[in-house]
Amino acid sequence: MRRVLIGAVGYLNLRDYSIGPVLLSQLRKTRWPSGVLLDELNWGPIAIVQQFQSLPDPYDRIIILTARPCGRPAGTVTLRNWVGGLPDEANIQSRISEAVTGVISADNLLIIGEHFNIWPEEVFVVDVEPGKEEMGETFTPEVEAVTGDVLSVIRELAVNNSSVLPEFEGMTGNELLI
Amino acid sequence: MCFKNLPVEFDQQGNATLLKNIPNPYEYETVSLEGEQDKLKELLARNGFIKNVDFDPVTRVAGALAFHTVADLENRKILSTNSMATLFRGYEIILRGRDPRDAAYISSRACGVCGGVHATVSALAMEMALGIKPPPLGVLLRNLLLSIEYLYDHPLHLFLLAGPDYSEQIVTMTNPGLFEKARNTSAKHEDMHGYSTIAAIMKDLNPLSGKLYTEALHMTRVAREAYVLIGGKYPHPQSVVPGGVAATINISVMNEMYERIQQFFDYSKKVVGIWDDVFDFFLESNPDYEKCGFRPATMMDTGVWDRPDVYDGTYENMTDWGKARWATPGVLVDGELVTTDLQRLNAGYEEFVEHSFYENWNGQRFSEDPAGIPLGPNHPWNKETIPKPGKQSWRDRYSWDVSCTWDRMPMEAGAYARLYLTAKAQELPESKFIRSTGHSLQIDIPKSTLPGGTFEWHIPETWNTFERNRARAYAIPYSAMVCMENWMMAMELLRQGETKVSTPFEIPKKGTQVGVGYWGAGRGFLSHHLIIDDGVIGNYQISTPSTLNAAPRTPWGAPGPYEEAVLNTPILEDFKSPDDFKGIDILRSIRSFDPCMPCTTHIMMDGTDKMVTREVTTCACGIE
Repeated sequence: MRRVLIGAVGYLNLRDYSIGPVLLSQLRKTRWPSGVLLDELNWGPIAIVQQFQSLPDPYDRIIILTARPCGRPAGTVTLRNWVGGLPDEANIQSRISEAVTGVISADNLLIIGEHFNIWPEEVFVVDVEPGKEEMGETFTPEVEAVTGDVLSVIRELAVNNSSVLPEFEGMTGNELLI
Repeated sequence: MCFKNLPVEFDQQGNATLLKNIPNPYEYETVSLEGEQDKLKELLARNGFIKNVDFDPVTRVAGALAFHTVADLENRKILSTNSMATLFRGYEIILRGRDPRDAAYISSRACGVCGGVHATVSALAMEMALGIKPPPLGVLLRNLLLSIEYLYDHPLHLFLLAGPDYSEQIVTMTNPGLFEKARNTSAKHEDMHGYSTIAAIMKDLNPLSGKLYTEALHMTRVAREAYVLIGGKYPHPQSVVPGGVAATINISVMNEMYERIQQFFDYSKKVVGIWDDVFDFFLESNPDYEKCGFRPATMMDTGVWDRPDVYDGTYENMTDWGKARWATPGVLVDGELVTTDLQRLNAGYEEFVEHSFYENWNGQRFSEDPAGIPLGPNHPWNKETIPKPGKQSWRDRYSWDVSCTWDRMPMEAGAYARLYLTAKAQELPESKFIRSTGHSLQIDIPKSTLPGGTFEWHIPETWNTFERNRARAYAIPYSAMVCMENWMMAMELLRQGETKVSTPFEIPKKGTQVGVGYWGAGRGFLSHHLIIDDGVIGNYQISTPSTLNAAPRTPWGAPGPYEEAVLNTPILEDFKSPDDFKGIDILRSIRSFDPCMPCTTHIMMDGTDKMVTREVTTCACGIE
C-alpha cells in the first residue's frame, strides 16, 4: 500500500503564516484513502528526522503545506517538487542550531531532512504567499480566497498516482538561504 | 551580613528590617556612559588597529543575541563590550489579565528548548499563591521530568552549539598550531571515551559529520523519549500543572523510562572524559586561555529537585524546602557563599531598565515580602513591563534585556552554578549517589557497559570559559543520578500503592494572591513572579538565565556577565589581518554561558503590525 503523509508546518495564531496547521485541521475532517496520513510537522526537524529514520515502512510521498514569504502577491499558491540539493555546511549547521532551539520553519525541515536523507523520491511543497506577518486567528482576504484551491491541490496530490500528476518546477536546498 | 548594598539588615533571629535614617533607602545614582564612549570614539579615530567588531547575530545560540565589541587587534585586547538582546519577549504583557491556569501553557512557549521548566516554574508560582501542596509522587515525577530535560539540554549545548568551537574544523582555522599539537597529545581519559589523541576528539567534534555531534543528536532523542512518557510532548509539556502532574503513571511507564535513563550512565562518563581532556589540553597548551571569559564566580541559582517530604510550596517554608533540594539554591560572590536561603535570594533580586528599551515604572505595590523582608521598587513583584522601543545607543539604551542584580551586583546563571553552590554549601541532604564536600561534588555512576565509579567535579580556582563548559559536562552525570534516585523513590511509592500525582485546586474570584516559582532551566536560574488579582493575572514577571547573563550595564555602569567575561578575554586567535579575524575567543566566551534568548515566539513590533518569529539581524553599523 502506498504511504502518503500530508504534513503541515507553521506557527499558530499568526494569520496567513498559520495556513499549514489551520488547513490541516480542515483536512482531517475529510475521508482519505487508506495509506494517507496527516500530521503536524511542527515538532522539530531533528525529532522528525529521527522518527522517519525509525519508521518500519517509509513514506512514498510527502506533501508539505506551509506559508513561505517569497515576495509574490499575497495568496499566490505555488506547488513545487523538492529535488534536493543542499546549501553549504555552515548553512546546514545554522538550520540545525535553529531546529534544536525551537524555530519552526519548513525550509529548515526540508534542508535538515535532505541532509539526513529522510525524504522519499516524491516530496511536494505546497506553499502560499502570506500577507503581513501579524498576530491573529483569521486569514487575510487574499489567502482566505485561495484556501479552497489549496485543499483541492492537496487532495489531488495525495490521491493521484504520479503518472497523472503534471510536472512541477523543482525546488532545491541551495535556494533556501536564511 | 547578607546584603552589603541593599538597605536591609537581619537581626540574630533572622528578622529583616530596613536600615534606619536613610531618606530614600532604595535610591541609586545612574552613571552616564557618555565619557567612556567619547574616549572610545577618540581611540577608534586615532588608531587603525582598534576596530569595532560586531557579532550580529551571535550564531549557535538559541534566539536573538548580538554582541558589540571594540577590539585592539594589535595589543590583542577587548576595550569595550555591549550585549544586545535584539527582540522583545513580551510574555509579561501577554499573560496580564488571563486566567492563571493558562500561565503554565503560555509561558512554556517562552523557549523552544526549556519550555518544560517554564511550565514547572509557573506551576510552582501558582502553588505558592494558592496554597497547593502536590502529593509526593507528583513532586518526584516533576523532578524526573526536569532532570531529563537537562539530559536533553546539556548534550545539545556541549556538542551542537558550543562543541564546534573546539572542533578540528574551527581550531585548524583559528589556531592551526594548536591543532598540530593536539595531534601529538595523548588523551588522558581514553579508557572512558576511546580516543587516543586530542586531535581525534576534535575531529569527532566537527559539526554535521563528527561522531560526537551525531551521537549528541541521538542522545537528545533518548532524553525526549523519556520526557514524553510523563510530559506528553516536548518541549511544551501538556501534563505539568499546579499541584503536580496530570499523567497516568504505572510500573510499565517507569520501566520504559528507566530503559532511557540508564543510557546516560555510560554517556555521562564519556562526556566528562572528553571535555576534561579537551579543556585541560587548551589550558595546559597556553595558560592565557585561563583568562578567556574570566569573571569572578559571582552567580546565583534557584536550586532544583524538591524533596517530596519537605516541599509544601509555601513562601513561609521556602527557606527549608529550598535548602532540602538535591541542588542547593543560593548566591556566590567572588566564589564565597553568601546565602542559601531562597527568601533572601528573592528579597535581594532586582531589575533595572536604564539601558534597556523599557520605561521606568512608578509606584511600589509591595514594600515587603510575605515573610516581612523589605522589598525595593525594582523587585519583580513591584515591576511593570512598559516597552519603549527607540534608537539604539551605547551611551544610553541598547538592549531588550534588563539589568538584573542581586544586592545590586550583576549575577551569572548557569547549570554550573547548580554544581558550584551545591559543592560549596555542603547542605545537600543525604543522597544515594551525590555528595558535597565543600570544594567538590562527588557523583557515583553505576556500572553499565563501562565500569562504574565516583566522578568528582572540583570547584576551579579560576572561573572562565572552559570551566563553565566543564561544569556543564559534569551536570550530565549529576542530572542522571538525581534522576535515578527520584526514579527509585517513585517506584517505591508505586509499590506502596501511593499513586496520587496531583492535588486539585480552585482559584479564588476575589482578593490578591502572590507567588513565585524558582527552578533552574538547563541554563540555570529561572523565576516567575506572579500576582493574582480577583481571579486573573495582575502581574507576571519572568527572569530567565539569559536575562541575567545577557544583561546590559547596571544603572551605575557595571557590565553584565557576557560583557564582563568578553572584556576580560585576551585575543589568542592567529590572524594575519583584521579581515582574517574570526573572534573565536570572544565567541567561545559568550557561548560558554549557553545563551538562550527566548525569541522563537510571535512578537509584535511597537507601532507596526510587523511580527517577528525568528532570529533577526540588528545592524550595529553607525551606532554610537
